[in-house]
Amino acid sequence: MDNLKVLKIVDFVQNESQIVETLKDLENWKSIPLLDHSMLHSFQDNTLVRFRGMVQDMLDNETYLEKYKVNGEGGSSRVQDGKFRDIFVLGNKETVDHNDLENCFGERRSLFVISLPGLNDWAKTTQPISPPTQSASESSGQKRSAEDSESMEQDQEMEETQTPNKRIKGSIAVNEEAAPKGLSAEYHLNSPIPDRPSKACMVKVYSDLDSHTLNSVVDVIGFLSVDPAMDISTADVEMNEDIDGILAANPPPSLIPRIHAVAIRRLKHSNPLLDTSLHNFEEHPLSFDVVYKDLLIVLTQCLFGDTLAAEYLLAHLISTVYVRTELETLGQFTLNLCSIPQEVLPFFTKTLYEIIEMITPVSHYLPMTLENMNTLQFIPKKDYQTNKLVSGILQLAPHTHLVLDETAMKAGKLENNGVLGMQFMSHLIKTQQLKCDFQYYQLDFHSNLAILILSEGRSMLPNNSQVPIQPSDNDTVKLIEETLKSAKFYLRTKLNSIRRYLTLCKVQEFVMNDVEGKMIEDDFVEMRKANKNIGPEQLHNLLVLSRLLGIGVGQTALSKDSWLKAKDMERQREERLAKLPKRKV
Amino acid sequence: MARRDYAQDKDSVKAFLGEFCKVDPDNGKKNFVYASQLVKLAHREQTMLTIDLDDLQEFNESLTEAVKLNCRRYSTIFSDVIMEMLPSYKEREIRAKDVLDVYIEHRLLMEGRNRNQVEQRDERNRFPPELMKRFEISFKPLSTDKSFSIRDIKADNIGKLVTIRGIVTRATEVKPMMVVATYTCDRCGSETYQPVNGMTFIPIQDCPSDDCRVNKAAGRLYLQTRGSKFVKFQEIKIQEHSDQVPVGHIPRSLTIFCRGEITRQAQPGDHICVSGVFLPLMREGFKQMVSGLLSETFLDAYRILCINKTEDISEKDAELTPEELSELSQDDFYDRLATSLAPEIYGHMDVKKALLLLLVGGVDKRPDGMKIRGNINICLMGDPGVAKSQLLGYISRLALRSQYTTGRGSSGVGLTAAVMKDPLTGEMTLEGGALVLADQGICCIDEFDKMAEVDRISIHEVMEQQTISIAKAGIMTTLNARVSILAAANPAFGRYNPRRTIEQNIQLPAALLSRFDLLWLIQDKPDRDNDLRLAKHITFVHSHGKQPPTKVKSLDMSLMRRYIQLCKRKTPVIPTELTDYIVGAYVELRREARNNKDMTFTSARNLLGILRLSTALARLRLSDRVDKDDVAEALRLLEMSKDSLNQTHEHHTGHVPNTSDKIFALVRELAGADKMVRLIDVMERCTTKGFKPDQVDKCVETYEELNVWQVNQNRTKITFI
Repeated sequence: MDNLKVLKIVDFVQNESQIVETLKDLENWKSIPLLDHSMLHSFQDNTLVRFRGMVQDMLDNETYLEKYKVNGEGGSSRVQDGKFRDIFVLGNKETVDHNDLENCFGERRSLFVISLPGLNDWAKTTQPISPPTQSASESSGQKRSAEDSESMEQDQEMEETQTPNKRIKGSIAVNEEAAPKGLSAEYHLNSPIPDRPSKACMVKVYSDLDSHTLNSVVDVIGFLSVDPAMDISTADVEMNEDIDGILAANPPPSLIPRIHAVAIRRLKHSNPLLDTSLHNFEEHPLSFDVVYKDLLIVLTQCLFGDTLAAEYLLAHLISTVYVRTELETLGQFTLNLCSIPQEVLPFFTKTLYEIIEMITPVSHYLPMTLENMNTLQFIPKKDYQTNKLVSGILQLAPHTHLVLDETAMKAGKLENNGVLGMQFMSHLIKTQQLKCDFQYYQLDFHSNLAILILSEGRSMLPNNSQVPIQPSDNDTVKLIEETLKSAKFYLRTKLNSIRRYLTLCKVQEFVMNDVEGKMIEDDFVEMRKANKNIGPEQLHNLLVLSRLLGIGVGQTALSKDSWLKAKDMERQREERLAKLPKRKV
Repeated sequence: MARRDYAQDKDSVKAFLGEFCKVDPDNGKKNFVYASQLVKLAHREQTMLTIDLDDLQEFNESLTEAVKLNCRRYSTIFSDVIMEMLPSYKEREIRAKDVLDVYIEHRLLMEGRNRNQVEQRDERNRFPPELMKRFEISFKPLSTDKSFSIRDIKADNIGKLVTIRGIVTRATEVKPMMVVATYTCDRCGSETYQPVNGMTFIPIQDCPSDDCRVNKAAGRLYLQTRGSKFVKFQEIKIQEHSDQVPVGHIPRSLTIFCRGEITRQAQPGDHICVSGVFLPLMREGFKQMVSGLLSETFLDAYRILCINKTEDISEKDAELTPEELSELSQDDFYDRLATSLAPEIYGHMDVKKALLLLLVGGVDKRPDGMKIRGNINICLMGDPGVAKSQLLGYISRLALRSQYTTGRGSSGVGLTAAVMKDPLTGEMTLEGGALVLADQGICCIDEFDKMAEVDRISIHEVMEQQTISIAKAGIMTTLNARVSILAAANPAFGRYNPRRTIEQNIQLPAALLSRFDLLWLIQDKPDRDNDLRLAKHITFVHSHGKQPPTKVKSLDMSLMRRYIQLCKRKTPVIPTELTDYIVGAYVELRREARNNKDMTFTSARNLLGILRLSTALARLRLSDRVDKDDVAEALRLLEMSKDSLNQTHEHHTGHVPNTSDKIFALVRELAGADKMVRLIDVMERCTTKGFKPDQVDKCVETYEELNVWQVNQNRTKITFI
């Protein structure tokens, strides 16, 4: 379907169901050019584009003129379709008749979608980029003349008259220089991670208005709408008390293009390597066993030859929330690697993150310096002046790997913001729920982040598992710089299989069957007898760990081996923890 | 639907306003509700006339339906009718109140003088009715109408009377909005009026009067501010309550236009209930250009109620369906409600029952200015990791109004109230802390023991007097804090040490501890059966992704919430015949405390506690009277809570009397010098002590076999041998 790229709105409205059906085919879906990582000026107004990102904010439903009457010169009139558009389609000297009885209203909704915050570079480059060429518009011209439909001619004509500069290339350059009135571009873009700004789009949804939830990852195909006529920042505006609100609701289209959604797909993961082939493994034969071993060796080397810590880190990398009941969230595996030798800081934590960055599609590294803690915006907050949900650094897409570096923290004063930040992080870790501040109350939103905490001593944040690193010998500490370098080099050859492996593990279905249930119950009772301190939390952790160990080696159901291994690992970990200096109470 | 006959409706409106009356139940006199108000309106003593649709419903049902569906139109019909009727209700001359009155009076006189010319006057030079109208109409929705959530308001509600609940997020300044513009001509001096209906208007430039038109004088019109009519206008924005937002969604918001007397009713942060007409809005000018294809909607408010002030609003939604009621009125409802509290936490039935009573609360009493709180305070103590925090978290989510805070994170200021200086105006304002915000609700305080000494003192007042006094920065005031406090504390030495007293264990002063109606020690003791059940439970959740089915089906949160709300409406009384029983039980408690060197305190506060608990139990049964069983259950809970603190003690001292021994001792005591005891008395005494009937039966049997006593044939009396 070549012509999908050059499809016009009018054509689409005529064969809506058929085209939506065509788009169900993944190949056709992928043929639509992706807006995320290309320059906006390479796209044309009112053509189909694709945008992939996270729902950052959801605005109220809006009523729009679905059909309206246009009065032309000399008493002629026609009915114009308003769907998938932002502005009136008017020819010369035509006016809209607002009072016509045949005007009909429809309901739609704007979603504020931003490209995945913390998407790593490799994931950007592997996304197939197919910017439409100039020839696209030419071919469309030919096609149109061939079809010779009256209405379409009319349509084309009108678009030309309405927007004289159809190539928006020029106008964009101008707009970007002229700073928008009142609000900064950062404010409009609203990236959770200000240092790694993401692209933003306003996606107008026409069906299933209530089916989308905050922070979910979506892939949208829709008509791009970047008509400069929508830009009000340059318009002559009389003083108005609500000016910020109006500006925020109508950001310059060059900065935040509008996409009128035709089809939306919710994504389970954000790894571009597995875009098409998630459901048929056969295409990409991947031996879990082999990759697991490779990865384990590399991680062991990276963690000073500590196999236990490496096992835990690997389990952490493939962890995901898999049960969410009204009161509990299970599956998250927040790991705290502590006892990092002081002499390798700060080099070690950064390089370790670089390795994680290499193998995971979405990740972010947050050094918990006092400055960061005291100044960063952690959770999204509603700004009632502009009616926008101002993002915070914890508003990340599901399956994002967040690495918190506690070693960067120095003694000093943690101010109000920092204390709150710690509370929000703790809440997020404990319940995998993100608090959003609506000023008059706070709401919880589901979240699914893998959080790794690196610290010298015990971390002050809660976690599922605390693993003190034990270097196998002194040399490993001295040589860590070289080791990490060579580890990176070694990884390079196996990158794609490891990346695929990690994502597949996350979405893998796994059966925690009852067959082994009895054994687990008995074991637990025994453990309670031996140690009074073992409670339900420990059992939860053990189950999660054995699940992850099972998935890691490609199993699809819980086995006795992984349960025993998990028990053994926990035992070793407890022993190490006991050796740590006791915290002063 | 057939078109309504508006003329006929007009007549019935007239009849309704003039004739509707309510009969006073006391003296049988008829009270003409609206007619009396019309008199006031006529004399400008009242500006707002609220039509209660309940009254209208009583009078004319179909008319009420019509009003609800087409509120805007009927609002004008009502005001037209009132305009017609008002002069006849005028009983005396009224004095002009403001400039506009003087102005109108003046113009009326003028008009009267030039009566002969009236016919010639242009339509537009006549007084528009809006200028003369000095009252406002509002509708009070039917009391049976439910309030909507903002997301339920769809396009099909346009033009209808709806009631919406929400929280105010923004409110603009109150500004004057022009309703009638008055102009004078610079040539002929005649006056022109222009009624304004929308948000904007285009001023008239040329004089339309005959003088100017005929003479082609081209008179210019000038706006007369004093002669124009303005109304107060305010735009507010509301947002959904947190409980109306589905998981994963952003709260919706809605714009509300308030006019006249409805302005200044709500401030940002207020929970309000608005009734009004949902309408589309066509913006003009700049805003029109911006919105393009979009059209905005708003609610034209007729009535705003702050829910903070009136509680009856939320009750309307609390109505239970008959099926739900029948489900709740089964025999085991008490157990069932208790199990439904935090169903994922195993056992601890008595703790849960106590928490259930805390949610329902006892009855407040105010004999002669003295205030006795009805709220129940509970303190949970226990070893780390026994799900105290989960219980607290669950309760704070279940309760309609609650605050969750930790002792360590909140200073005294964070709990009570802080005086803040407004950076803009420099004014001092009071900012309520958690205890104030939880007024009429529950305040859950975790890590109660970790709280600084100074902060704890502020809680003393709250827990007994239910108020907070503030004397700071020149502000001296007392705020209401009618809260139930649910606290959780960890033992000071990591684990509860049974050899020490509670004060030593929790490191809280006795004055504070005695303010808790129930103190509960939750211990984590390894026990094979319990552990096995726990393990089963956890593995089930992991493998099936949901809670395992329980024997008693737990009730969902919203049903619980509504039921508790229903319970709270009851105010049961304690019948006099129970007094002796309660007094006896209390005296018994005191005596026992003296004898046993109790680790807890038994003081007069316990007596009040028993009363609170029993009234709460009666409420839970939806009864208006406290039963003997309620008191017995209250005593049992008190006993169990004491036991939870004392049992460890017995355990360690080595000699554990089994239940039968304990019951025997009780019977001995009861018998005193007599040789005969009635079995009913025994049963009663034992159940108040927390023993179950079958345990008593067993004891009676055992000792009968040992030939210590004899039981008569009917099993009603025990005789000691």
